Amino acid sequence: MISKEYRFEAPRDLGQALSLLEKHGDDAKILAGGMSLMPTMTLGLVQPDVVISLNHIPNLDYIKEEGNLLKIGALTRHDTVRKSELVKKHCPLLAEAASFIGDVQVRHRGSIGGSIAHADPAADYPPVMLTLGAQFKLQKAKGERTVPATAFFKDLMQTALEPGELVTEIQIPKLPDGAGSAYLRLHRVEGNFAIVAAAAVVEKGFRSARLGLAGVGPKAVLVDVTARLKGGVTDAALKGVREDALKASADAYGDLNGDADYRRAMAQVYAERAVRTAAGRVR
Amino acid sequence: MKQVGRSVPGLPNRLLVSGHGTYVADVSLPGMCAMAVLRSPYAHARIVSIDTSRALAAPGVVYVLTGEEIARETNPIPPVADPGLYGGKSLAVRALPTDRARYVGEPVAVVVAEDRYTANRALELVDVEWEELPVVSDAEAALAPGSPLVEPSWGDNVMMHKEFTRGDARAALAAAGGRVVRGVVKAQRYVAAPIEPRAYAASWDAYAEQLTVWSSTQNPHPLRVFIAETLGIPETMIRVIQPHVGGGFGQKVPTFPEEIAVAYLARKLGRPVKWIEERTEHFLAGGHAREEVLSFEAAYGPDGRVTALDVRIVADVGAPATFVGWAMSYVTAYCVPAAYKIPHCRVELFTAVTNKCPWNGYRAFGKEAASFLMDRVMDRVADATGIDRVEVRLRNFIQPDEFPYSQVSGAMLDSGDYPRALRRVRELIGAEGFPEEQREARRQGRYLGLGFGFELTPEGCSLPHTTMLSGYDGATVRVAPDGHVTILTGVTSPGSGNETGIAQLVADTLGVGLDHVRVLQGDTDTCPYGLGNYSSRSLMIGGSAAKIAAIELREKMFKVAAKALEVNPGDLDAEDGQIFVQGAPTRRIPVRDVASLVYRHAYGPEASEVEPALESTRYFRIGNVHHQPEVQGRFSAYPTWPSGACAAVVEVDRDTGFVKVLRYAIVHDSGPIVNPMMAHGNLHGGVAQGLGGALYEHMVYDDAGQLRTGSFMDYTIPTAVEMPHCEIEMQETASPFTLTGCKGVGESGVTGPLGAVASAVENAFPELNLALMETPLMPHRVWRALRDAEAGRS
Amino acid sequence: MKVPVKVTVNKKPYSVEVDTRMILADMLRDVLRLTGTHIGCGTGSCGACTVMLNGETVKSCSILAADVDGQEVTTIEGVSNGANQLHPVQEAFVQHQGLQCGYCTPGMILSAIQLLKENPNPSESDIRHGIAGNLCRCTGYQFIVESIQAAAKAGVKV
Repeated sequence: MISKEYRFEAPRDLGQALSLLEKHGDDAKILAGGMSLMPTMTLGLVQPDVVISLNHIPNLDYIKEEGNLLKIGALTRHDTVRKSELVKKHCPLLAEAASFIGDVQVRHRGSIGGSIAHADPAADYPPVMLTLGAQFKLQKAKGERTVPATAFFKDLMQTALEPGELVTEIQIPKLPDGAGSAYLRLHRVEGNFAIVAAAAVVEKGFRSARLGLAGVGPKAVLVDVTARLKGGVTDAALKGVREDALKASADAYGDLNGDADYRRAMAQVYAERAVRTAAGRVR
Repeated sequence: MKQVGRSVPGLPNRLLVSGHGTYVADVSLPGMCAMAVLRSPYAHARIVSIDTSRALAAPGVVYVLTGEEIARETNPIPPVADPGLYGGKSLAVRALPTDRARYVGEPVAVVVAEDRYTANRALELVDVEWEELPVVSDAEAALAPGSPLVEPSWGDNVMMHKEFTRGDARAALAAAGGRVVRGVVKAQRYVAAPIEPRAYAASWDAYAEQLTVWSSTQNPHPLRVFIAETLGIPETMIRVIQPHVGGGFGQKVPTFPEEIAVAYLARKLGRPVKWIEERTEHFLAGGHAREEVLSFEAAYGPDGRVTALDVRIVADVGAPATFVGWAMSYVTAYCVPAAYKIPHCRVELFTAVTNKCPWNGYRAFGKEAASFLMDRVMDRVADATGIDRVEVRLRNFIQPDEFPYSQVSGAMLDSGDYPRALRRVRELIGAEGFPEEQREARRQGRYLGLGFGFELTPEGCSLPHTTMLSGYDGATVRVAPDGHVTILTGVTSPGSGNETGIAQLVADTLGVGLDHVRVLQGDTDTCPYGLGNYSSRSLMIGGSAAKIAAIELREKMFKVAAKALEVNPGDLDAEDGQIFVQGAPTRRIPVRDVASLVYRHAYGPEASEVEPALESTRYFRIGNVHHQPEVQGRFSAYPTWPSGACAAVVEVDRDTGFVKVLRYAIVHDSGPIVNPMMAHGNLHGGVAQGLGGALYEHMVYDDAGQLRTGSFMDYTIPTAVEMPHCEIEMQETASPFTLTGCKGVGESGVTGPLGAVASAVENAFPELNLALMETPLMPHRVWRALRDAEAGRS
Repeated sequence: MKVPVKVTVNKKPYSVEVDTRMILADMLRDVLRLTGTHIGCGTGSCGACTVMLNGETVKSCSILAADVDGQEVTTIEGVSNGANQLHPVQEAFVQHQGLQCGYCTPGMILSAIQLLKENPNPSESDIRHGIAGNLCRCTGYQFIVESIQAAAKAGVKV
């Protein structure tokens, strides 16, 4: 149980939340869905002096389209992402990945912004964000900026977020017509963390082919395999994809799910499967 | 309508589905304070000093208890089964230590505060000065000369060394020529992980001089004995209540340090005290199981008959404790060679202590390792001879007409028909059509495998000279003046449903409907002395006691009814609330009217010759338990021997090692079944735990004795998605030794998956000659085995 | 540190003060004395603490009591209509032995209701995935699946 005392703040608008965050800095933790934060607090691994809940701020939970972008509010719950007609239409890869996160209850509460800010190396969104070329709106009390996913995930659970900054919006370019995508992951039991995960997008005519891998190092990795698939999904092409995946897993770690060799092998297996499946879904 | 044999829904179901059960954590009393436990962060360390002053000074803290006071004010906790009585080493253990902590998570001090938050917070204010000691983190290393000692007074790390022999295995192996298979089977460290963690509460009434203890336990009466002895107060001063329990599986048998602490503190402080375990504490200190290495050599003939078996078992039971878990290692050795007849057999057991959490009881209690071993031996012999795996087993089984059969250890196996069960499960799983299914799958690039297992799961464990482990139990049956029946049992149900089965037995005996029967369990003030629930004894032993008591009341009521109907008692029968004349059912009298005559007309013509009231307390002692050791110092501890033949079909992802169980079947034999739905439900649960052991669950320590799997995220028990559809069929070979013929179902299903799944995964790649001898078969392990085998071939 | 919380639980409004450290599960159990919601792990894995928050199942051990101000919670106690009128899903669990020790059961039933709300005719796979966030150690899940199938077949209105 949580034993250290703390102040609980439930700001009613984003500006208030950002001011609080600026004021308290490292003494504060942001509470969105809480699916990552709460267990760490219960286990005593994280002991903030202030908890700032974003759950009472209206208008942080939305999915809309603006031109070529899908814009998703940070407090949008995974289940909403999973079921959204807009998401299913314009970046089904994201809906597919969201369907793997945790379980029904976790998906009802966990938020896309919270998950991204947490940047677990085995999390489902980061490889998808890399593959889709997403960018994130980061806001602080004075100012905002937009950072591409490729620059956002820096290291093991480290992101580009500066003190006082919050992820407030996820912006994802719509996939071009006919693109195929796939999200696949290996896990020990249902609902458990991914051992390895692969997100793939293959555009019509193999104009572009990208792979996002998770569980292969301290952070998710983007692998551009367009060159490999120039001539289509041939044995040679897939061999090349596997080589790229192996290279991308140079920093693979070992744990209770297997040693680094195993992860590197799984990275190759899942990279190939994700690319094949995505290519098969090209229309 | 007769109730026995009907699939009656559990009697507590309506209460529990509506969330109105009472578990210990739900108990709330005025003035109740909260307890928190300070646990050792080290696997092995000397307690140099404990300073409680900062904690005591914190607002809201009521008390801090350490080993020093425990040593002064309490006695060592009586062990459930003292290894010293069976040729092993004993150790006096108190609720809190004064000298050393011997595993990470061992309770070292206890804080009591006004609320849980304050109690937890105050743990950080207890200042313990530690001196780290060398850690023994591996059983083989523990046995090596020169190893650091877990218990210095022992001189080594061997709690028990035992050998069971028949014939001369070494000579037979030497004479076997090349026909010997060898291997090392490894079963992993496991934890029961019921969904309800442990919880205890206690309250002391100074005027009535009564200590009431609520415990999430399986054995309230024995717990009372142990608490009384530990606290040095008469048993008559203690009431133990077992409310609803959220699963026990053997892990919630007495006696935990936290139970003693709660009881002691309630009395000392004069205020109720409650402790609710955090799940992390459960993983650290709730009691583990099963970590065994079994090295074997087996000689076989060209016909696949195993002529000799030599097994060396090393069990890593963690630190010495008062828990009964160490006995599981003994039971493994005791059960070898399980369902098979082997003329020359030598089983050597080393029960090693290490600086890890002690074992406590866990479902299958060591029998699983014995059957897992034999499954692997039989499969290796099948590989070596080219004889079909099922056929090899059929040739080595103890045959149906050879019972009662005396096994190598002295165990007396009561009855069974193993060949029939195995043949039947082969049909159930569709073995005949499987090769084609397998070929078709291969054409699609999928790898399917079929494997078999056979489990022998003796029940009713009775060891000489123990408070808790004995083959008797009691029940009180009462018929009230209005004809309603109350049953009070000495056995308990942590969710397994024996209360319903017992109600069915008694309802049929007294001829009343189930809606007229109430079962009360788990209160030492009202229930007759009993040993509680473990080793699947509750229905077979507790049910027998209830039946005997009910028969006594039936006979009394028939005497009264006979007078009323002017017939002989022998002409009567009872059903659906009526006592009637056989063959002339319109001549009858309601049970309620008979009860009324007994209670209200005690001097009248019908009831004047029977003793007043309708209440009977009777005990049943099961046969086939032999505790007077014969020549070789053996005893027969298990009266009944349920068995089960299992089969699994798996799909293996060749590239990742991921195993999915597609379907599972078990033909199970526990004798007559009182409630098929309950029995099936228990089996489904057992199979789930077994599959967890085969594929998903592993308690892992590092070399420093730190636990790496401290939550459900790392210790992954199966979800609904992992579970295959499971086909169950019952075979009924009655036990000649219980009143009902029942043998107990509670531990069945858990063992078979280990061998069946390993065999199935091997079978998916017959060209690779895989030998998967170690569980759990997690993806990375299977992957490594596949890659090594492929490399070996090329 | 305490904060005020206004929350509706099982259609009844409550106004309470809770320690900021208190999780929703403990508020329900210790402050409101609704002990049907159980805690099995405290870290969001086992699902025994499942309740509905604003009509959707969540794990109440991983939500702060302070954070449900102004919201609506349904617990197992709010599912049946008194002791003699169980919800059809509860009735199905009773008849098909979808429980043994009962500890995971309240959370399991809430998840079953959630599933049938969204998918009145679930396949067996849908059911198993729908309850994957609820661990059970007693039943092996088979009778739980059958209970939910029975409830679906009876066309229960959740």
